[in-house]
Parts: sequence; C-alpha cells; structure tokens
Amino acid sequence: MNVAAERTPLLRVEGLSAGYGEMLALREASLEIYPAEIVALVGSNGAGKTTLLRALSRVVRSTGRIVFNGHDLDVLTPDEVFGLGLVQVPEGRQLFDRMTVQDNLLMGAYRRDDKAAVLRDLDRMYAMFPRLKERTRQLAGSLSGGEQQMCAMARALMAAPVLMMVDEMSLGLAPVVVEQLMGVLDAIRDEGVTVLLVEQDVQLALSTADRGYVLETGRIVHSGPASELIDDPAVRQAYLGL
Amino acid sequence: MDLFAQVLVNGILLGGLYAVMALGLALVWGVLNIVNLAHGAFIMLGAYVSWYLYTGAHIDPFLGLPISAFVLFVLGYALQRGLLNLVVRAPMFNTLLITFGLEVVLTYLAQIAFSADFRTINPPYAGNSWQLGPVTVPVVRFAAFVVAIVLTIGMWIFLLRTRLGRAIRATAQNLVAARLYGVEPRHLYAMTFGLGLALAGAAGGLYGTVSQINPYIGGTLTAKSFAISIIGGLDNPLGVIVGGLFLGVVESLTKLYIGPTYGDVASFGILLLVLIVRPSGLLGRTA
Repeated sequence: MNVAAERTPLLRVEGLSAGYGEMLALREASLEIYPAEIVALVGSNGAGKTTLLRALSRVVRSTGRIVFNGHDLDVLTPDEVFGLGLVQVPEGRQLFDRMTVQDNLLMGAYRRDDKAAVLRDLDRMYAMFPRLKERTRQLAGSLSGGEQQMCAMARALMAAPVLMMVDEMSLGLAPVVVEQLMGVLDAIRDEGVTVLLVEQDVQLALSTADRGYVLETGRIVHSGPASELIDDPAVRQAYLGL
Repeated sequence: MDLFAQVLVNGILLGGLYAVMALGLALVWGVLNIVNLAHGAFIMLGAYVSWYLYTGAHIDPFLGLPISAFVLFVLGYALQRGLLNLVVRAPMFNTLLITFGLEVVLTYLAQIAFSADFRTINPPYAGNSWQLGPVTVPVVRFAAFVVAIVLTIGMWIFLLRTRLGRAIRATAQNLVAARLYGVEPRHLYAMTFGLGLALAGAAGGLYGTVSQINPYIGGTLTAKSFAISIIGGLDNPLGVIVGGLFLGVVESLTKLYIGPTYGDVASFGILLLVLIVRPSGLLGRTA
C-alpha cells in the first residue's frame, strides 16, 4: 500500500490516551487509516483495543487528537460521530433480539431520511447476505451465531458507514463462517467502505487486512503492512505461537 | 341467561376502556422501566380536559379526544425531559417515589383547580342505546369501546411499522445498541412518555363519557392499569387488549354473582394468580 502513504488519511489518531478513572488502558497511541483500506488492530485480551474503539466513538474521554475526514472528533458527542459515518459493529453483536431481522437492519438506518436509498440498501444487504433474506421475519435472537454476526454487520452497513469498525467479529464462530464474513469485508471495501478490524485472532486479522497495528498493554508496539507483520519474528512469537 | 349476556357485554365494553387505560402505563413501563404511579392521575387530567372542552367550548367528547391526548402528550414530553429523565434506568424505588409524589401533587392541584365535585360529560346522545335481542348496548359505551380498541391497535401498528416505533422497541430491548445507531435516548424517552400520557389523556376523555369524574379517581385507575399490564404482559399491545377485556368481564361477572363490592377483589386476585403462575403475563414471552 505505498499509494496509501501519498493520500490524506481518512482517520488520523495522534498520541491518544484513554482509560477508566486513574487507570490508562491506552497510552499515546497513534495510527492512520486511509480510504478503502482494511486495517487490523490486533492484540491480546486487555491490550486496549476496545478502549481505542470507545475513544473513537467518544464513549470514553481521551487526550490526544483524533481527526476523521477533516473533523476533530475530540469535541463531538457519540451521536455526532455516528453522524459522520463512523459506525461500529459492537463486540457480542448487540442485536435487538426480540425484533425481526428486517427491523434490526432498518434500525441501522434510523438516522437516514432518504427512504428510497434505505430500501435500496436493504435489497443490497439481502443480496450480500442471502441467509438473512431467508429469515427477514425471524427474530434476531433466534438466529445462529454466524447469522447474528451477519445481521450485525448488515445493520451497520445500513447506516451507510464511511468507516466501519468491527469489534471481535470472529469470536465464537465456526471457521467456515468466519471465512465467509472476511469475504464480505473484502466486498464492502471494494464498494469504498473503509474497515477497521479489531481482533484477538491475529493470524486471521492479518491474513485479511492490508495493514496492521499491534497493541500491547495500551501501546502500539508494531505496525506495518499486514503481510510483513505476519512474517515479523516478534509478532509470530508473541501471537502466533510460532 | 339474559342477565348473564347483558353483564358479559357490559364487561367487554368496559374492558376496551381498561385496555387503553393500561396501554399507556405498559408502554412507559416496558420502555423506560418506570412504573408510573401517577398514570391514573393523568387519566383524571385527561378527563377534566375533555369535560372543560365539552362544557366550556361545546366540543363533543369524542371529537375532543385528540385535543386532550395532545395536551397530555405535551405535558408528558416536558415532564420526562425536565424531571423523569433523572430517574430513567435508576433503581425502581426512585421511580416509584417520584411518580408517587407526582400523583399526590396532581391530585391536590386538581382538587384546588376543579373542586371535589363529581362531574359527568353528558352529550345529547348519552341516554341512547341499541337493543340487540335481550341485550342493551349503550351507544356511548359502545363508541368508547370502539375508540379504545382502535387506539390500541393503532399503537401496535405504530410500534411495529414506523421508524419512531421501531426505535422505541429497540431502546427498550438494548439501549447500548440503540445509542450506537444514533438513537438520542433523552428525546426518545420523552416521546415515549408523551405517547403514554397521550393514551392516558384519550382514556380519560373516554372515561368521562361513561363514568363520573372527580380528582380522586387516579389511584384506582393506576391500580387497574397495573393489573392489566401484568396480566397482558408488557411486550405486546394486543396482550393489553386481552388483559383489559378479561379484567372487565371478570369484574362485571363477580359484581353480579358474588356482590358489587367484590369486583376489585376479583381483579387483584387474578393479578396475584398471574404473578404466581405466569409472571410474564398471559401473552408475554416466557421468562
């Protein structure tokens, strides 16, 4: 991705620190994401990945700079950040369990007023996830784990994201389902949506992403093209058990 | 047998009104987790709005319903924005305290403003009725029943089909996710409470056409709405219709066969039974 370096980043994070009370879960993290990239943010449990996402969504307070698409996020509310197209697929899916699949997808488009475009996107989602199309009237809580993850991703896409942040997508899912979901990420990137993939499964994330950042106890310790990171001896030893 | 049929019809007609009374309480309870102990007092206010519209401006009580619903909606939105948002998702006890306080304040303000006199809304057609075989159907009660059922089903469709309705259900189910997708909870809660009170306002107008109004009717109406919400479950407005009809019929039959003073014993006895046997309500999902 040498081309990427010459473009302006979609998201630029500089010296970001955030935490809960006295404890800093994230220290001086800096990263950049360019348009239509898939960037992996990897690290083990407790490394600060989710805190970084929360800081980006402005759910936790932070110091440092976050610039998204020319806007300083520091001063915005979660609501306004969402309005700029920074959309999360939360860890654990967080579907509306007792609502139908279709209603879940429509909730993704809650803030959109262009009704015709929303309906077009709904059709697009059903084309992208045929499994969901078979289950439009089924309650989201009754879906299988893989289908629920599809539903969560489709719901996020219904919000017309500029940057989609996917938190722990693979957790608890069968490898064949994960592979299918990775294919979907590729497809939506081809449509121009940028993806920040936050994963504990380092191998998986780096084999799909263009570039990667490795978080360890709140600091970014490695970064670079995913193909280089996956071959980096330090990364291999720490995360891949090789 | 004729008497039984008549009492059954009376019970069903009353049950429709009960359903719309309880619907506002159930909506607020389900979404905001506030058991609004002042719900009956708001029904009382709605009844007085209708009464003043009728006696002061000669607006037919049924045509006045949208006005009293709107007045109560505005009051509800403002109360939620200014006061009740402080206790949303707070421990249940706080919400009970604050709404109980509201009930006391509203009742005494009503006593000062409207006096303790009993009032009735008596449109010219108040005495009319239809004779269906052995059964007499009073026109006003029938109209109140129809309006109540239409309102309840309308609310159901609103919750299922509209963007705001979906957001209300979504917020009730998963606040975190709803916020992630751009729901602004303070506004949404205020809309929900406003809608709950709008239903109370309409229910009050209907109540005024079939029964007497005084400032103290609130407590009993809250208790009945509570019982119906429990019996019908909080998930589904149709459950509230079933709960309302059930309570109306059981109360009427109890009054006929056991004694007029035992109506409330029957309704709260059933409430206890439902809580023991089927805590999620007759139509609610099983826990």
